[in-house]
Amino acid sequence: MKDFKILFLLLSVMSLAVISACGSETETITETVEVIKEVMVEKPSTLETVKSRGSLKCGVNDNLTGFGVLTASGAFEGFDVDYCKAVAAAILGDASKVEYVPLTASARFEALSAGEIDLLIRNTTWTASRDRDLANDFTATTFYDGQGMMVYADSGYKTIEDMAGATVCVLQGTTTELNLDDRFTSANLDYTPLTFETNDPLQAAFEEKRCDGWTTDKSGLASKRAEFPAAAGGPEALTVLAETLSKEPLGPLTRDNDSQFYDVVQWVVFGLIQAEESGITSANVAAMAANPTDPGMARLLGVPFSGGEVADFQFGVDAKFIQHAIAAVGNYGEIYERHLTPLGLTRSGSLNDQWTNGGLIYAPPFR
Amino acid sequence: MNLLFEKLCVLSRSQKIRNISIQFVFLIFVGLFVYYLVSKTLQLDITLSHFASRAGFGISHIFYTDYTSNDNRWAAYLAGVINTVRVCLVGIVLATLLGTIMGVARLSKNLLFSTISYVYVEILRNTPLLIQIIFWQIIFLQLPRISEALTLGNNVVISNRGILLPFAASNENGYGGLWIAIIAISLILSLSISFYINKQEDITGKVVKLYNFRLSGNLIGLLLFFTATIVTYFLLQQPYNIDLPSLYQNDKGTYLQSGGFEFTPEFGAILFALVMYTGTFITEIVRGSIQSLPKGQSEAAQAIGLSNYQTMTLIILPQALRSIIPPLTNQYLNLTKNSSLSVVIAYPELFMVSRTIMNNSGRALPVFFLILLTYLTLSLAISMVMNIINRRVTSIGT
Repeated sequence: MKDFKILFLLLSVMSLAVISACGSETETITETVEVIKEVMVEKPSTLETVKSRGSLKCGVNDNLTGFGVLTASGAFEGFDVDYCKAVAAAILGDASKVEYVPLTASARFEALSAGEIDLLIRNTTWTASRDRDLANDFTATTFYDGQGMMVYADSGYKTIEDMAGATVCVLQGTTTELNLDDRFTSANLDYTPLTFETNDPLQAAFEEKRCDGWTTDKSGLASKRAEFPAAAGGPEALTVLAETLSKEPLGPLTRDNDSQFYDVVQWVVFGLIQAEESGITSANVAAMAANPTDPGMARLLGVPFSGGEVADFQFGVDAKFIQHAIAAVGNYGEIYERHLTPLGLTRSGSLNDQWTNGGLIYAPPFR
Repeated sequence: MNLLFEKLCVLSRSQKIRNISIQFVFLIFVGLFVYYLVSKTLQLDITLSHFASRAGFGISHIFYTDYTSNDNRWAAYLAGVINTVRVCLVGIVLATLLGTIMGVARLSKNLLFSTISYVYVEILRNTPLLIQIIFWQIIFLQLPRISEALTLGNNVVISNRGILLPFAASNENGYGGLWIAIIAISLILSLSISFYINKQEDITGKVVKLYNFRLSGNLIGLLLFFTATIVTYFLLQQPYNIDLPSLYQNDKGTYLQSGGFEFTPEFGAILFALVMYTGTFITEIVRGSIQSLPKGQSEAAQAIGLSNYQTMTLIILPQALRSIIPPLTNQYLNLTKNSSLSVVIAYPELFMVSRTIMNNSGRALPVFFLILLTYLTLSLAISMVMNIINRRVTSIGT
């Protein structure tokens, strides 16, 4: 009984302390709860996190030659990987400060929304439902892709209409799966989708001719075709059908409601495009920065024009962030040339050409 | 104030108070953590309303239902559940058979049998199931390609697209369901009639005779069943036809196959892997249960002149069954849960289909709850059936 009394005393002392601290007004208590909620639920800006951590956690593909691949030497390389490097160079001034996190197609969005990675650049298509539902923001398009169909050259298939009754290998949890079904259903064709979770068992099945067709983005098909093993017939044994089944704009994603970091990523993408338009390359960026030819170039590179003031856009990073990115990976054309041209993805005349050449690669003005 | 502080210091020396306050602080942290989780969860949409929308994706293995991508997500989910149940049911039956045979073989005096069983258990029990599943998939993909497919007349097609067997296909006249119902009813009727006649024969010793030919209950039951089904089959204008598989070339010269019952490499791989893997554990259970019986049982059986086979089936196994069933239930549950691993080899069971739905809808949490609930239901159903069997086996003197 005595113990209970002591306990009661203890409890009343504690509650007295709480009440006096809060001024015993419900309003203040609600406010405190709000603050607690904010601290526990809201995360600090990703930009600050990246700066204080000193590295960028970038979600990439590790198995798609040209876009993101883990090489035999243990390094990541590819088109998407270069954008990770560009963002790291822009924020931290060092393109090597990237922690690559290889992700499967179905795990990528949760990895981003759970905060496991800062930035997702893994040949991800921008769609309305993904933008709305998955707590991500798409920044800008780095590559205009489209879904294609790859078949064995000796099969005689020339169009999708020829493929009645065919078995098609496809990756799980992608828009590809849905586009494939839309195409065959609308043409009233019978087909069997063989849905794989990862690329390796899919390729094994395709090599054994378990499927007639393999469908994914055309860029992916080009990369898989280029490295198709000679034992299974080599690249010549395969053809990619001319038809494009869908629009697939690919680009980097950040978390929802994180506009500071979002802006940096978006304008790094635009900066590299603008750099190509202005004729700035990784080779001449230092010379251009030392002596910019016009005020526009000076704004892009974050340097003063003929002794004037620097136009700092106040992105929360160094004013020279685009300059660092160009120095690290080069302009858009250089990145494309390095990773995608070897796959046989011709740039000239495609959607991925500069707007001045009739393509869709276009950056809003830097001013 | 000073007095209060001193009082608190004195109180903190009491073990009991200290324990209570530590627990109180701990409780606060648990409460905050729960609040954090709940507040996070409430930000998400936790209903399954999106399951009513069009699925929009195809499923490669459709069994029993006639799912198309135009159906809603519930239909897709159901197709996935059916695929899981299908591989589990077949897997459980085959694993039990394999395990029992191997368990008996393990104790055989024949060195060949016992060595085969020993090697089988030691190799397959000690390698990861996932690796075994992928291994079996690779094995099944080594079947002839479709352009070199093997055919047995018009009845069987064997290729790495799948092994096609003749199967019953429902006619379009709509009597298919009725005929299945008649089969089920006549099966139950003929079984109970033959049981009744056999029992009467045991009790009264009277034998039903047609002229000089002795009709046992079994024979009468069989006759009854086949007459009923065959007569109604023709009465209902042949509700089922035989669906023969076919291998053909389309106008481009590419080979395709269709029709019949399809045994695909994916189904084969997951089935073989589950049966072989679970079979090793059942082998050990059977072996252990037999060895736990006193040696006197088999010696006594031999003493009254029973053969080895009779000793096993009449004396040893019925007694061993009592200690086999409870651990066996565990293995059945394991098999069911392990079937979710087939996601790696393109067999669309419930986990795989739900993952696709999750990806298309972006709402992971409610779908995950649904998956958990479905596996729980399956496991509880298996447990229930096994408990009923266990009660029958362990009850003495019936």
